[in-house]
Amino acid sequence: MLDLSTVRQFLDIPGVGLPLTGVLLAGPLFFSAIRKRLEGGLLLAIAAVLLLTTAVDSQHTYWNRYTPSAVDILRQTALLGIFALGAAVVIIAGGIDLSSGSMIAFSGTVCATIMVLLAPDEMKNAQPIGLRVSIAAIAGALFVGLLVGSLHAWLITVIGLPPFVATLATLVGLRSLSRAIVENVTASAWAAKSNQIQIFDQQFRYLATSVWIPVVVFLALAATAWLLMSRTVVGRHLHALGGNEQAARLSGIQTDRLKWLAYCISAVLASVAGVLYIGEESVADPQRLARGYELNAIAAAVVGGCSLQGGVGTIPGAMLGALFLRVVIDGVAKMIKTGADVYEGLIVGSVVVVAVALTQLRQSGRRGARFFAGALGLVTVLNLALLFGALVWLFIDIFAPGLVAAAERQWGRLFAKVVLGLFAAAIALLALLLARFLTARRRYLAGQPTFPSEGITATKQSE
Amino acid sequence: MTGTSPLISIEHITKRFPGVVALNDVSFDIQPGELHAIVGENGAGKSTLMKILSGVIADFEGTFRLRGQPVRFRDTRDAEQAGISIIHQELNLVEDLSAAANIFLGREKRNRLGLLDDRAMEWAAGELLVRLECQIRPAQLVRELRVGDQQLIEIAKALSLETDILIMDEPTSALTESEVARLFRVIGRLRERGVTILYISHKLDEVFRLADRITVLRDGRRVRTLDRAETNPRQITHLMVGREIEAIRLGDGRQPGNVVLDVQNLSLPWTGHARAWRLRGISFTLRRREILGIAGLMGAGRTELLECLFGSSPEPPRGRVVLEGRDVHFDHPAQARAAGIALITEDRKRLGLFANMSVGANITMCTLSEAATAGIVHPRQETRIVADVIQRFDVKTTGIHAAITSLSGGNQQKTIIGRWLLTRPKVLLLDDPTRGVDVGAKAELYRLMDRLCRDGLGIIVTSSELPELLTLSDRILVLCEGRLTGEFSRAEASEQLIMEAATKRG
Repeated sequence: MLDLSTVRQFLDIPGVGLPLTGVLLAGPLFFSAIRKRLEGGLLLAIAAVLLLTTAVDSQHTYWNRYTPSAVDILRQTALLGIFALGAAVVIIAGGIDLSSGSMIAFSGTVCATIMVLLAPDEMKNAQPIGLRVSIAAIAGALFVGLLVGSLHAWLITVIGLPPFVATLATLVGLRSLSRAIVENVTASAWAAKSNQIQIFDQQFRYLATSVWIPVVVFLALAATAWLLMSRTVVGRHLHALGGNEQAARLSGIQTDRLKWLAYCISAVLASVAGVLYIGEESVADPQRLARGYELNAIAAAVVGGCSLQGGVGTIPGAMLGALFLRVVIDGVAKMIKTGADVYEGLIVGSVVVVAVALTQLRQSGRRGARFFAGALGLVTVLNLALLFGALVWLFIDIFAPGLVAAAERQWGRLFAKVVLGLFAAAIALLALLLARFLTARRRYLAGQPTFPSEGITATKQSE
Repeated sequence: MTGTSPLISIEHITKRFPGVVALNDVSFDIQPGELHAIVGENGAGKSTLMKILSGVIADFEGTFRLRGQPVRFRDTRDAEQAGISIIHQELNLVEDLSAAANIFLGREKRNRLGLLDDRAMEWAAGELLVRLECQIRPAQLVRELRVGDQQLIEIAKALSLETDILIMDEPTSALTESEVARLFRVIGRLRERGVTILYISHKLDEVFRLADRITVLRDGRRVRTLDRAETNPRQITHLMVGREIEAIRLGDGRQPGNVVLDVQNLSLPWTGHARAWRLRGISFTLRRREILGIAGLMGAGRTELLECLFGSSPEPPRGRVVLEGRDVHFDHPAQARAAGIALITEDRKRLGLFANMSVGANITMCTLSEAATAGIVHPRQETRIVADVIQRFDVKTTGIHAAITSLSGGNQQKTIIGRWLLTRPKVLLLDDPTRGVDVGAKAELYRLMDRLCRDGLGIIVTSSELPELLTLSDRILVLCEGRLTGEFSRAEASEQLIMEAATKRG
């Protein structure tokens, strides 16, 4: 029999496991990048963010401690990527799944609950629970994924709810259900109500604490999903469903069954991620676990080129989207050191807007459009200037500590950075207004005739 | 301004869309008070030109002068302020609002408090509708109206703007004969008021009845502008097409075989609608090697009839359908496909094409599993199937990986027909298959249908153009408001008889 621990030790040597997974990850991505412009652009963007982080980070962590940094990014990408694949499949099929964050919490809860039910004493006393219990718990977690996916499909295809509503309901409902389950099972198992379940079993935790298991699971799932979406009849039909649902139905494609499949894929992948997350955090805490992650998954898919209109998108794109998102989040964390998780939402939001806006503008060829025309344009100028000012206020310590010190002597600790931020906002406002004025003047001088309201009024009056 | 100077001058207008030049250096004038007809084939650029004049398209090359001044509208509101309004070919109504609310949509009348003044709007709408000689209550919801009446709401909406230039884009396509006569009386009154009308149509009899001058467009260019008095329909047709249309004689010597499809007393309910039935009590048979034409105005139930036979109707139909001697009942198009029925849908873009897929993927959409083992597609086998279809139907494409949207309308249609013939059907249903297809491609599609029919298919085809049905069909059924009101053999059928049956009430 093959000794598992030897393989384990071998793969856990950073010099072996890491390059191996790196090659596995980068190979297919490079291959697709040569063929597709979008993915090439994403690869460049990832490289740029990595370089920028290495340079700006005062400790140059990426350069000095590259192995742990890479391990961390890879593991985080794998965890996000697993359920981002599900989001991509559903979005390509023309739907949306808002529930994956709660589904992760729910599957983690179910996994931990099964462990408590099968091995209450071991769980309480931090003893090993045995392989069988772990396997049963994982199987149970994956099974509830299937059930939730089927529930979504039933609500959408039979009841006729819009996917947004159906998965919004489970987004709210599943987390609440998970909390109730945890309180209930802890109360009855140990007579001490708790809102979380600790997991001590080292064997189970090895699932997520090792580098290679999450990464290999992610790569295997991604390869399967890629095969499904690009090489099979079902994948072609999923694209067709997302591209033109009515035409798909009229072509004799069983659109309802396909939706069932897509929502199950999404929910089961979220379940897999849930199992790994409770292993990583060594606790199933449904209140906190994966809160808001559904948007990260959707963001990864969208940044990777999936269109929310459906029918468009690739699995390698979604993988790169997840990697890009993680690299940006990690980069900001490296640059501002502490409390970086506060900024995660801001980063994800900005990345999505910029990435999708660039794609949209490229497709519609509106590069020369006037972005700041009219009243809405004026308000937008103010908006952007204030946003810029706020960012300066929050981050100026990192980029110009000397300036902050000088400002503190002038205006005091409380107001120094606010004043600097306001200055920055004012400068941005002036610059944008100038740009707006110059664009308008150029268009005017170029002699683009506009609507001559004066001429028309004159004619109306003469009648 | 003098009376002889043109009201509208179109000077060297060019409009490019990605990959197509929709208008190419078009110039002509429109005189105040005239009714100027603009004719041309599908894709000649008529609608694009009208969209530019009415402010829907703001981005174009060239100059457009109104009363001698160069203008460039940013949107339709600019155009309306300048006195131009348009009646669109497709209905742009909000079905869940009342007739009056639709007429004043975007220009709602308000009372002193700034709230909606429904009574004033309904009163004004009532006046307009009386002028149009129709009996629609202004408070009635648009979804409860017949298609013809809905079109009158569009016209009332344009009239309510009191503009002095009115663009009408194929206004009679949904109207019965009496409604058309009514519309023409309204047009007469508008002209007495001095309104200038731009009238777009491909129905030459209407054009010759109404127009002072006729401009012919072809492939985005202006071919000629003629006075009605000095031309004739033959010349205009010639200018529109650019070549003599060869008279097509099809169907000679076709020998219909056994009955393949027998429809008995088919009805389709219409829940929540005043008419209660979309289709009522329809019976007919279809033989092998026979083309059965279905005629009827818009809203008569042609499309619904085909949907019933294909299992895609909005509600389950009632009645019996016998396919090759066996009773069949389809809940889903997949069952109809398996039983040997194929439907080429009416609205190709919305119901037929997969716009972000390649030509090849569009062709194999129904039969991809034949090129796959255990669900995994063999690209080479798929390529072979696609190449065969492209060759058999002479689809003009740069390759099987070309985007389907890069093909012309006729070639897209051949692609979809090819998709369905791969399913080896016994009955082929075609819903207005030549819509949006140019003349040359139409003739090609006619010959293709004739060939497929001779090969043993039973074919049912609907069309909004009677001459087309007369050319193609061995027999013609006529529908009016969901009932079968006429059946004619090829020898008996004439446009006159079919129109009479199509407008028969009750």
